[in-house]
Amino acid sequence: MTDGPLLWYLNRGTGIVLLVLLTATTVLGVLALGGRPGRGLPRFVSQSLHRNLSLLSVLALVAHVVTAVADTFVDIRWWQALVPVGATYEPLYLGLGTLALDLVVVIALTSLLRTRLPHRAWYAVHLLAWVAWVLSVVHSVGIGTDLEAVPGAGPGWAVVPAAVCVVAVVAAAVYRLARLPVDRRARLGSPS
Amino acid sequence: MAHRLRVDWPACQARGLCHEVLPEVVDLDDWGYPIVTREIDAALLSDARAAVRACPRNALRIVD
Amino acid sequence: MTAASPVPVPDEIRVLPGPALLAGIDEGPSLAAHRARHGTAPAVTAARLLALTADARLRGRGGAAFPFSTKLAAASRGRRPVVVVNLSEGEPASSKDSALALTRPHLVLDGAVAAAGALGARDVHVVLPGDRPHAAERMAHAIAERDDRVRFRQHRADARFVSGQARAVVELLAGRSNLPVVAWAPEAVAGLHGRPTLLSNAETWAHVGLLVLDGEAAYTARGRVDEPGTTLLTVTAPGQVPHVHEVEYGARLRDVLPSSATGGPLLVGGFHGSWATWSTVASARVSVPGMAALGMPLGAGVVLAPGPGTCPLALTSQVVDHLAGQSSGRCGPCLNGLPALAATVRAALTGSGGERGAVAEIERLSRLVERRGACAHPDGTARLVRSLLRALPGEVAAHGAGGCDARTAEAA
Repeated sequence: MTDGPLLWYLNRGTGIVLLVLLTATTVLGVLALGGRPGRGLPRFVSQSLHRNLSLLSVLALVAHVVTAVADTFVDIRWWQALVPVGATYEPLYLGLGTLALDLVVVIALTSLLRTRLPHRAWYAVHLLAWVAWVLSVVHSVGIGTDLEAVPGAGPGWAVVPAAVCVVAVVAAAVYRLARLPVDRRARLGSPS
Repeated sequence: MAHRLRVDWPACQARGLCHEVLPEVVDLDDWGYPIVTREIDAALLSDARAAVRACPRNALRIVD
Repeated sequence: MTAASPVPVPDEIRVLPGPALLAGIDEGPSLAAHRARHGTAPAVTAARLLALTADARLRGRGGAAFPFSTKLAAASRGRRPVVVVNLSEGEPASSKDSALALTRPHLVLDGAVAAAGALGARDVHVVLPGDRPHAAERMAHAIAERDDRVRFRQHRADARFVSGQARAVVELLAGRSNLPVVAWAPEAVAGLHGRPTLLSNAETWAHVGLLVLDGEAAYTARGRVDEPGTTLLTVTAPGQVPHVHEVEYGARLRDVLPSSATGGPLLVGGFHGSWATWSTVASARVSVPGMAALGMPLGAGVVLAPGPGTCPLALTSQVVDHLAGQSSGRCGPCLNGLPALAATVRAALTGSGGERGAVAEIERLSRLVERRGACAHPDGTARLVRSLLRALPGEVAAHGAGGCDARTAEAA
């Protein structure tokens, strides 16, 4: 079973799904904060969505890693899923993916323990999610088979979902930065 | 045994999730800040814990 | 943006000699004069100090009148306690702590040192006022004169109203901003760095000093059986230098008031205090429970006599404007609620909105801001405004009709 291409296809599939999930998580993370309560979705709904999507992302991440390691076609060891250096297959892009995983693990753990941590510490770690997302995009572009240019036919099909993800996160980032002064001023109180 | 919901006021930024999750205990004032209207009895305890977990600023605590 | 205090922090105060705390102030504030008067302070155990302060029914003089022995007992139960002398005097109309710093600093310090010795605390923190340089300098000088086994650490409070709040002081000592935070436990249980922190007002420490130096019998010989001892009052009237008096509990309040105050309403307890009519004041005795029962709690012992021709509603409006600006800005209900309350009082002053509308809105906003903050700043402000409605209901009504009781009284 590990000799055929099944694991490889699963690895590629989970990779694309993972990118979409991470994107959706990030976008929801931005939308869920700030602003006045009651506009659009109730806050706890967008918060729950954000948390659930992040959990799904972790599951997809586990599947993505397991299929990569179990597949014997390329030599990826278990430890290379956690340590960003020392791989033999595509060491740079694999390493970046591993780094993204490390960040996701730390973010997930701190979020599970959020109420027991000082808020500032939790938030500082959580901001690394942006970095993790960027690393996963670079990892995808560098190592992703479905993003590779097909000779004579342009970039691989996955460039479409990937481009949508990039646009979504960039838009979310711009929105977040634009809100920063607004949120600070809103504290000075006007009735909602 | 009844518990109380206490707000860490400097941390609270009127996000309003506590009111969404626990409207029986938390109202909102003119500016979106929580008003704790009653104690938490056994029936509401798990919802109260959910409210504490929901607060994005860790601004809620359940005290005796 | 922030309104100035209608009663500025004074450059000059007059301190009158008194029977105990302010005895012998003519001899000067030096350590030598203090020792000549009282001798050296004996070391006391925690048990002895507890008994002394409990029998003397010593209450805090910072405004809350909390029983000192209860605080002391709580602080004695933990490890590595800390003693803090709060001389920040954030209330502009109060000058009693500065008076002690200028005339009897060693009485304050002896009290704190005695408690530190009793608790086994090695540090005595002294929080000096940010806006009273003479008092701060005098106290620093007094600390330098001393030779105790404790380590004195001096701090400078910010020049804000809330700087003297207990948790704000602990924050300052911890190296953070001098602003209040929510207290999950009393600071006597867990304060500075989680350690038991015996934080008291400078005058409270002076009373502790008196008890330790002169003994219980001398202390309880003054005042009343159920309320022994004396207390300091700051009496302020416009155009006059504030006077600091020491009075025995049970003395008549009107005896320390200037003649210009007769007949008019008074603001008792400072900016977080309560208005009282002359008829209430005229027969009142200086007493914590007694005055609380009369609806004019003594608080930090400030008595403001606005005098004839000063409209109490106008003065209240100025005070509330000032207090709204003095919010630390950390707690939403206070940050938003006090300016709203100030706007409502201003509307009542100009008569817009009608009397009933103003009263209802004041009640509503007061209920909204009370007990919803890290400190009692909103509570005190609401108390001030409600006391005006309770004690001088005619004022709001008169303004609603376009007039003013005070001006009418003066013209009459």
